[in-house]
Amino acid sequence: MPVRTALAVVAGKATGSLSRLTGRGGGTTFPGDVARYVDPHVLRRLARDLKGGAVIVTGTNGKPTTSRLVHAVLEGIPARVVANRAGANLIYGATAAAVAVAGVDGRLRADWGVFEIDEATLPAAVDEIQPRAVLVLNLFRDQLDRYGELELMARTIQRALEQLPEQSVAVLNADDPRIGELGSHLRRKPLWFGLDDRGAGAQSLPHAADARTCPRCGATLVFDAVYVGHDGEYRCPNGDFARPALDIAGRHLRLEGLDWLGLNLDGQIVEARLGGTYNAYNVTAAYAVGRALGLEPAYIAERLKTVAAAFGRQERFEATGRRFTILLAKNPTGFNSVLRDSIELARGKRYLIALNDRIADGTDVSWIWDVDFELLKPSVQIVVPSGDRAHDLAVRLKYAGVKAEAPQADLGRALDRLLELTPEGEHAFLLCTYTAMLDLRALLVRRGWLRPYWST
Amino acid sequence: MTTFTVGWLYPDLMNIYGDRGNILTLVERARWRGFSANVMELGKGVHHGLEDVDVFFFGGGQDREQALVYDDLLELKAEPLTRALAGGAALLAVCGGYQLLGHYYQTAQGERFPGLGLLDLHTEAGARRCIGNVVVDVSGLGLEPSTLIGFENHSGRTFLGPQLTPLGRVMAGSGNNGEDGTEGVAAGNIFGTYLHGSLLPKNPHLADHITTAALQRRGVRSLPVLDDALELEAHRRVRDRELAGRR
Repeated sequence: MPVRTALAVVAGKATGSLSRLTGRGGGTTFPGDVARYVDPHVLRRLARDLKGGAVIVTGTNGKPTTSRLVHAVLEGIPARVVANRAGANLIYGATAAAVAVAGVDGRLRADWGVFEIDEATLPAAVDEIQPRAVLVLNLFRDQLDRYGELELMARTIQRALEQLPEQSVAVLNADDPRIGELGSHLRRKPLWFGLDDRGAGAQSLPHAADARTCPRCGATLVFDAVYVGHDGEYRCPNGDFARPALDIAGRHLRLEGLDWLGLNLDGQIVEARLGGTYNAYNVTAAYAVGRALGLEPAYIAERLKTVAAAFGRQERFEATGRRFTILLAKNPTGFNSVLRDSIELARGKRYLIALNDRIADGTDVSWIWDVDFELLKPSVQIVVPSGDRAHDLAVRLKYAGVKAEAPQADLGRALDRLLELTPEGEHAFLLCTYTAMLDLRALLVRRGWLRPYWST
Repeated sequence: MTTFTVGWLYPDLMNIYGDRGNILTLVERARWRGFSANVMELGKGVHHGLEDVDVFFFGGGQDREQALVYDDLLELKAEPLTRALAGGAALLAVCGGYQLLGHYYQTAQGERFPGLGLLDLHTEAGARRCIGNVVVDVSGLGLEPSTLIGFENHSGRTFLGPQLTPLGRVMAGSGNNGEDGTEGVAAGNIFGTYLHGSLLPKNPHLADHITTAALQRRGVRSLPVLDDALELEAHRRVRDRELAGRR
């Protein structure tokens, strides 16, 4: 082991401790920057110490929750698992996670790695980590101002998957038309997962849907079921393209509130303490990864039961005698999913919705016009628009016919307004874009209502 | 008047940047004023009924989708669309739709794809993508407020012929080509722009300007006034933030 890697580990660890001591948050990526500055190959070298191997999780929506599920599956082997957390999903975040569990001798103290990786970072991550499995969850329209178009993203992912080591597996969502397309070009056959429960799906695409044409003839795809966004059972009307045959199929989907779901995965009953159809995908995906790694169905199911949602994703807490649920939504598909689920499954009536337009949120807020805020109209009583672009959101709600409170850009004031309007004993939902969620969480920690995220 | 009709060109293929907001704004504002209003979807294969449209909307798409509408546009839509516009209908084209109004789009390799040729403008592929919030001075249109705000995301560089008037002058952002300070085009009842965001919800004065232009032929001279306090506050906040960033 080169001295340089050990030095990089020491430097990274020192940065992390300093960051926590000085109250600058969890130090989830900066130690990675420092370690890579000392040794650019630090992640590559540390990843080699993983005796079991590593799993990379990528895709637009569901990375943190699915990574948690995969983490739980691997941990029960039993094994020591290293994972990046809290959305630190660039190469620096992965490096920081590895450095944090490495010894000062420059050796990684873990058997398995689970890394959630941003789609654009996938080629670099595959190259450095040499994973046993790469899971691709979905490809939705997200933050186009940062990354360019979906097509480019699909090509980036395909290129990364072509570079996978010989014994590695690509675990792909067959229900996503663009992933179905890129996966069918791979030299080695991927493991395809998807949902197969027409009763649980819609029959038409929502406004936010994007991939809808046949890659071969350009005809508009026909959907026999739509589960989330443009993910479902699709086929080209001319017979040129269709959803790949499922290796792992989720059937008999049951959803209970935002708290529980169950489904049948090829004969194995799987249950999880997570709500909503999008989490049925996350659970199916994590199960498929377990199968790809040769783990037993009953064992995987047992482990999946133990997981709660990732921080800020469906986080619940009680304060001032009221119940709250934080819901993160970064793009139209995610937003529609959490809106629909919170209204239909949890009978949501009171909302604070916070829209920011910082780099991590995407600086273009056009996408709010593709979100079906009209869903709020029939049953919702209170909506407080907040965040840096509270006024844009208020205009959107006006054109959706939703009666909202006056926009309140300041999150603290918006929260106070929500409290005024929410009687004790009632339930309110805090729907946020990414940086708004971080700010809101920090505010809730200051008020003593929540613990900081690096201790969750 | 009878029914106010918005004709949405390729709603399933050319709607990548929240273009639905523009449609909603045109339709809802007409309804709030007591008109009946509807949306006519003009997808691939449709070439009848365009004469009933008051305002056409043509949005942007990803490259792949744009290639799919291309033949249909030139073969089926060009003729009835041109006739409707000559008859006094209005057209708002954004981003990819705007580029297709011109003579051609020239790729980085020098290949030229012909456009509708409705206006004397052309577009060339650029090396750098223009991305970000935009503020445009449109005092030339006589609108109040005298600015438009939106978000641009394009690599094409559009150049207007000498007889054409731009929609406005860029105060923040890149606009047509990042060189000559122009943004968009305003040619009679035809409006082209790179601004989405969506454009019309936060620029209700432009929405009404376009609607008024289209309804001239139906004898409507002015529109009942609506309460736009919320829309204009959203407009003002983005404008002030972006212009402050310039100083």
